[in-house]
Amino acid sequence: MQKIYLIVALFVLGGCSKQLTEDPRGLVAGNAAISNMAGLESALTGAYGSLMVPWESGFTTVSQIAMTMGADDLTTHPGSNKEEFREFDLFKVSSLNSRMTPIWLGCYKTIQSTTNIINNYQAVQDGSEANIHAIVGEAYFLRGLCYYWLTRCWGEVPIIPTAEYTPDLLQIKKSPVADIYKQIEQDLAAAEQWVADKKRDPGRPNKGSVKALLADVYLTEAGWPLKNAAKYAQAAAKAKEVIDNKAVYKFDLYQDGFLKIFAGGTVEDVFTLFTRGQWSTYNSFYGLSTMPENEGGWSDFFPELKFFNNFPAGSRKDATFSTEFTVNGNTIPWQNVTTRHPYYKKFRIQSGDPATYMSNNPVIMIRYAHVLLIYAEAQARATGTPDADAYAAVNEVRHRAGLADLQAGLSGADFAAAVVTERAWEFAGEWNRWFDLVRLEMVESANAGKDPGDLQPLPGAITHEHYHMPIPGNDALINPNL
Amino acid sequence: MQLTLFSQSAAGRYVPCRKRIPRLSAKTVLIMKLTAFLITIAFLQVHAAGHAQTVTLSRQHSSLENIFKEIRKQTGYYFLYTDEQLSGAEKVSLDVKNAPLQQVLDLCFRDQPLTYTIDNKIVIVKRRPVIPLPQPPPVVETPVKGSVTNEKGEPLPGVTIQVKGTSNGVVTDAEGRYIINVPSGNAILIVSSLGYDKQEVVVNNRNEIGIVMKTMAAGLNELVVVGYGEQKKGSLTNAITSISTKSFQDQPVNRLDQVLQGRAAGVQVTNAAGSPGGAVRIRIRGANSINGENGPLYVVDGFVGAEFFAINPDDIESIQVLKDASATAIYGSRGANGVIIVTTRKGSKEGLKVNFTSRFSTSEVINKLDLLNAGDFATTANAHATATGTTPPFTAAQVDGFYKNGGTDWQREIFRKAPAQEYLLSLAGGNDKSGYFISGNYLNQDGVINNSFYKRYTLRSNINSKLSDRVSTFLNITGSYSTAQNVDIPADGPHSPLAQAITWSPTVPVRDANGKYTVADPVSSVFYNPVALTTEQLAVTDRMLANAIGGFRVELLPGLTFNLQYGANYLQYENKNFAGKVVNSNSAIANVRNNKEVRLQNTNMLNYRKAFNGGHNIDLTAVVEYQQSTYKYTYAGASNLTYESFKWDNLTQGTAGSPQSGYSKWALFSLVGRANYDYQHKYLFSAALRRDGSSKFRKENRFSYFPSVSAGWVLTEEAFMKQQQVISYLKLRGSWGLTGSEGVGPYSTISSYSNRIASFTNSTFQTGIILGNIGNPDLQWETTEQKDAGIEIGLLKGRLSLTADYFVKDTRDLLLNEKLPLYLGGNTITRNVGAVQNKGWEFSVEGTVIDKGPVTWNTGLNFSFLRNKVTSIGATSQRIFDPNTRRIGGGMSPQSEFVIMPGQPLGAIWGLTYLGTWKPGDKDNASEYGAVPGDARYKDVNGDGMIDANDYSVIGTGMPRTSIGWNNTLSYRSWTLNLLFQGLLGFDKLNYNKAAAMYHGGDAREATHMDILNRYIPGVNETSDIPAFSSTNRNFTQSSRFLEKADFVRLKNVSLSYDIPKAKLKNTVGVKLFVSATNLFTITGYSGIDPEANSSAGDIRQGIDYGSYPNAKTYTGGITISF
Repeated sequence: MQKIYLIVALFVLGGCSKQLTEDPRGLVAGNAAISNMAGLESALTGAYGSLMVPWESGFTTVSQIAMTMGADDLTTHPGSNKEEFREFDLFKVSSLNSRMTPIWLGCYKTIQSTTNIINNYQAVQDGSEANIHAIVGEAYFLRGLCYYWLTRCWGEVPIIPTAEYTPDLLQIKKSPVADIYKQIEQDLAAAEQWVADKKRDPGRPNKGSVKALLADVYLTEAGWPLKNAAKYAQAAAKAKEVIDNKAVYKFDLYQDGFLKIFAGGTVEDVFTLFTRGQWSTYNSFYGLSTMPENEGGWSDFFPELKFFNNFPAGSRKDATFSTEFTVNGNTIPWQNVTTRHPYYKKFRIQSGDPATYMSNNPVIMIRYAHVLLIYAEAQARATGTPDADAYAAVNEVRHRAGLADLQAGLSGADFAAAVVTERAWEFAGEWNRWFDLVRLEMVESANAGKDPGDLQPLPGAITHEHYHMPIPGNDALINPNL
Repeated sequence: MQLTLFSQSAAGRYVPCRKRIPRLSAKTVLIMKLTAFLITIAFLQVHAAGHAQTVTLSRQHSSLENIFKEIRKQTGYYFLYTDEQLSGAEKVSLDVKNAPLQQVLDLCFRDQPLTYTIDNKIVIVKRRPVIPLPQPPPVVETPVKGSVTNEKGEPLPGVTIQVKGTSNGVVTDAEGRYIINVPSGNAILIVSSLGYDKQEVVVNNRNEIGIVMKTMAAGLNELVVVGYGEQKKGSLTNAITSISTKSFQDQPVNRLDQVLQGRAAGVQVTNAAGSPGGAVRIRIRGANSINGENGPLYVVDGFVGAEFFAINPDDIESIQVLKDASATAIYGSRGANGVIIVTTRKGSKEGLKVNFTSRFSTSEVINKLDLLNAGDFATTANAHATATGTTPPFTAAQVDGFYKNGGTDWQREIFRKAPAQEYLLSLAGGNDKSGYFISGNYLNQDGVINNSFYKRYTLRSNINSKLSDRVSTFLNITGSYSTAQNVDIPADGPHSPLAQAITWSPTVPVRDANGKYTVADPVSSVFYNPVALTTEQLAVTDRMLANAIGGFRVELLPGLTFNLQYGANYLQYENKNFAGKVVNSNSAIANVRNNKEVRLQNTNMLNYRKAFNGGHNIDLTAVVEYQQSTYKYTYAGASNLTYESFKWDNLTQGTAGSPQSGYSKWALFSLVGRANYDYQHKYLFSAALRRDGSSKFRKENRFSYFPSVSAGWVLTEEAFMKQQQVISYLKLRGSWGLTGSEGVGPYSTISSYSNRIASFTNSTFQTGIILGNIGNPDLQWETTEQKDAGIEIGLLKGRLSLTADYFVKDTRDLLLNEKLPLYLGGNTITRNVGAVQNKGWEFSVEGTVIDKGPVTWNTGLNFSFLRNKVTSIGATSQRIFDPNTRRIGGGMSPQSEFVIMPGQPLGAIWGLTYLGTWKPGDKDNASEYGAVPGDARYKDVNGDGMIDANDYSVIGTGMPRTSIGWNNTLSYRSWTLNLLFQGLLGFDKLNYNKAAAMYHGGDAREATHMDILNRYIPGVNETSDIPAFSSTNRNFTQSSRFLEKADFVRLKNVSLSYDIPKAKLKNTVGVKLFVSATNLFTITGYSGIDPEANSSAGDIRQGIDYGSYPNAKTYTGGITISF
């Protein structure tokens, strides 16, 4: 019988259920994750990170270039594997076009991270108020930036109030564009207060960056679809704040070679996303993406011929486009490459192996030239008469491009139109032109009279409906309210 | 009924006296007959006359009535009978002279259903009794006793012994003894017991008879290992398939999955990757779970959750596949996907036995895609350029050159003939008290894709010993080391040598003039050199496994045993990766990840087994078990390696990435109880209950109960079935039970963050956090309810056996990883939503077709039919897409290819319906879609003039509905031929290999597939449904255009062995020689390389084939030496 007692004892011993309680070692879990400064900073790093996951999320892939191909400064290969790119150029974008996904996901992912910071930073137990504000200010800036991209690309999109998942979010409705801009303005106003004059790192905003973005936002609000003309004055005023304090913010036009701006790290950077290359963060639209197949490139994008031909000659044109290519030791002109087009030199890799899709090039989101030209256009449109500062701003850009001063005494409308054209040249290929055409309702006219060597949208293909992209199909299938 | 009385009158005339008697019940009739009889006797008493009369009579076919008349005439005897009695009488032929009356009457009545008695000159005709009437006093019964044993001389309790022709029967007691009374010395005993051939024994005046029973061919008496115990096969009430080692002997199997493939009904084995040591999918009765692992639970010698890859098939003694809930519920939360119990070999009592086998083989890929040669490719690429208005990439002279000189056949460059060798050695020995089994195995197998290989070493030592009469112990230790290189091809295109081989231009040489790899294909693929991907990109996994299980078995009281077992499993594996500059955008990278998993198990088991007199048998089991698993990893990587050749061996020489590490742990505590009862092996009952507590769930959901019940009825044990000879065994059984699945990893109830890197300069990065898994505190077990009904039939003395099962498996509270929409961050949340149903039939036949002289032919055929259906996915959404975010095929699929929707099978394929090309007459219609004639046309489901996400629907399923296996063994003298056919039917596959080679999308800019030659060419070939070259064409590969039926049947194995008779070798050694071929031919309509291969792990993702490692044709030769 003793043995039986032994067995009973063994059974009882086995019953300890303490072993069944989890101890999640090494897991960053729950609200504790952002209860201190280091955690808050880590969450902000993650927010930036979602803007730079190549092919998946954010701006380090060719997505934003593809999505703005409806403009006259960008087109793509008529054959090859470029079907999805052509959809944008030919104005028949399917909701399944996967080139849209990185921007859609990247912006919402960053909105999730920044909303988490904004809603929960008060729980942080350590750190000075200034340091916390610096972090939260950047979070507001990023969230404003992301909603700005979303509404410009898709128009009405949902505003997500919380980072925590609740099932009702699966039925959330789209917000009117005006509400989205209200949200953007609020975020950027908060950012303006808390972001310091000095950038904490080259890849972060300072107060000047926030103001510059806000000026751009106002300029866009003044145009289609809101057409709130009162915003021109706000845009001009905000841009002026940056111009007047450019020494404080360490911004200026870079004068030592136009091309070098695109390698990043110059005074021209107002807000730039940096990448490191080498399988961590990297930029994939510099390099192969912008090279013709004759050089082993992918021929993803290049300028339309009419745009190229109309581009005023000078050092800026030379720095903007590649017109000659070296193939097997021979130099061939652009007319002889497979696609019979020049390519964008801006996005060539300037040092190291150019034939790669993985480089440490920057994604320049806002540069000082933007600020100058926002001011010039907005001032002229706001008051109806360009002032001396407006002329000074546009001429500063023109001088650097090797162009003469803009004709004096132009009417407000003519001056603004000239600035818009200047913007087209200055920011050629930098996904700026499309948004200008949309807010000024010029998409149809800009696409009229294309060079026969370019892809031709079918007659009647372009309407205001095409000013916005279809909501990505996967999400629209899950939430029919989209 | 008519009663006729003949009476003799003085005048010699008779007066028939007829009287109508109404039809009455049988009993009344009998009484009346008797009454009439007595009255008649009394009435006729006076007419009695002399006896010794003789009769002379000659009649042919005369009626009895006429004969009676004649006899009455000659003798004066009266006859008393009814018309009814005579109506059943036979005609009679007689030829007698002066024969005594009694003799004549005997002749008359000899073959009649009648008999007679004579009373006082009256012959009374009576019915001959069918059952002997009790009136003859019973023969004095004599007792016969003895004992019944099996062929080994072991006593057999519970054997039924019956006297033939009577209902008299007894059952042997615990010592196999019996005692039975027999009516005569000539009596015959019918001796029967489940699992033994029925015998008839003539008593032959013996009073002590020892009976030896012969085991039936069907092996019903074998002890079958079940969960936490053993049971006789014949007394099982659940669906268990046993795989005998005979069915794979002499075949070149080197992994457990190859043993299971095609040999067991209800078990579906898919070689998703044909690489040596590559991924394989084993499913028992379908897949229940979307989230969790659907593979069965492996129990090796009692260790729960063993690693199947480390099992050396040569060590296997037996395999049991537990399928229905009554078999698997004993494993509770781990049994939902079926259980495979492997028992390894033990020592032999007969002294040392040595077995040595070596095998050599060569393999080649089973098929290749039909790709363009260099000349046709260049011509086609030029046509593409001309059609879209770009400069043709090739000059006319270059094209001519390619036609003349050929180009690169990339498939030939990456595929090769791959050799393999395997050596197996085993030693078994021991004595009455102890036994040992020691085995070693070395396998070195090259894959058919260049530079891929698998090497494995296993070692096993099984020791058992009887410490005393009541205590025994065992210790089984196995160790395995394996290394696999490049056997798992990544499913994304850029790094798959196969995906690149089918999209690289044949016009590009493998190497440039300097002998270096060509870096880029300027015309077609945008990614890496296929051959370089086999040599400059390495993915190596080294695994080290040590498993030990041992314990004591104590017999506490007769029938009561206690088992104590401890098990430990140590798995250490290292994943090493390297990519050189040429395959990695000019930067060499390497990384190494070290993983360690330690699993511990303690099992305490009490078992009580008793056979009571009268045929009641019980078997009670109680178990307490604790298991835990701890997993840790560390990871380091670097890019920009200074010295490529160092690979992962010196990461300091490069730019370091973030180091990583992680930890997780789970534990499971279980209580189990089971009772089996049977009455005379005829009525079988079993019930079990398991309670599991898992660390993965929060307290309120932590514990769950898994009950099961089953019953069986062995009809052949019933008396009414004992007399027939056709059906030797017939059992009906049914079961019901619940099993569970944890289905989630540890810490799933906790919201957590994951890592994400960002850069703030162009030379550094930081690691931040983003919201990751959304914790769901309400998570609970996934529960599977299974019902099963089965029939087992043995025919022709067990030579032919049939088993059929019908089952319904309903899985509820399905754990689902749902990917939230991208606007919510695309995070994953795990929830208990939805339900899946698997139902189907299994059918297997095993039999000896020929067993004559030297020739035998054994065959086993099994079919499984499975219907898998999602019955619900909860209220929140209509459909849930595969949450896996891989970019298969460089963005070939704009949406997830697989969807979970009510009414559809798990992993239904989601796509557009392809309608062919727009034809010239459709011009206006086409332009609505921005297309021109010759462009691809898709079904616009919602008719909005756009082809987009709203036009997708379910177009197929990747989950096979039917699996077939047919195994044949033919032997003639020393020759043995084995043929194994295997097939999977009723499923579809997205042939992305072909799509990539002809759609001008993703990562390939030109078409390489032969079919492109048949494309639509305006004005030339306008009937083709292969789209023309055009700038407006939009191809969607995720459509019915590239969806194909993937059904196949293949000759999985054919092998021939020759056993050199020992006599020829002076009885010293046994030598067996064999040759075999695997995957010799495949019958399929699938146009890809291999219908069985698929690209992604997970049951819902079976329907896609893109660059996946195809199966190989293998030819093997070998020898086995034993002494």
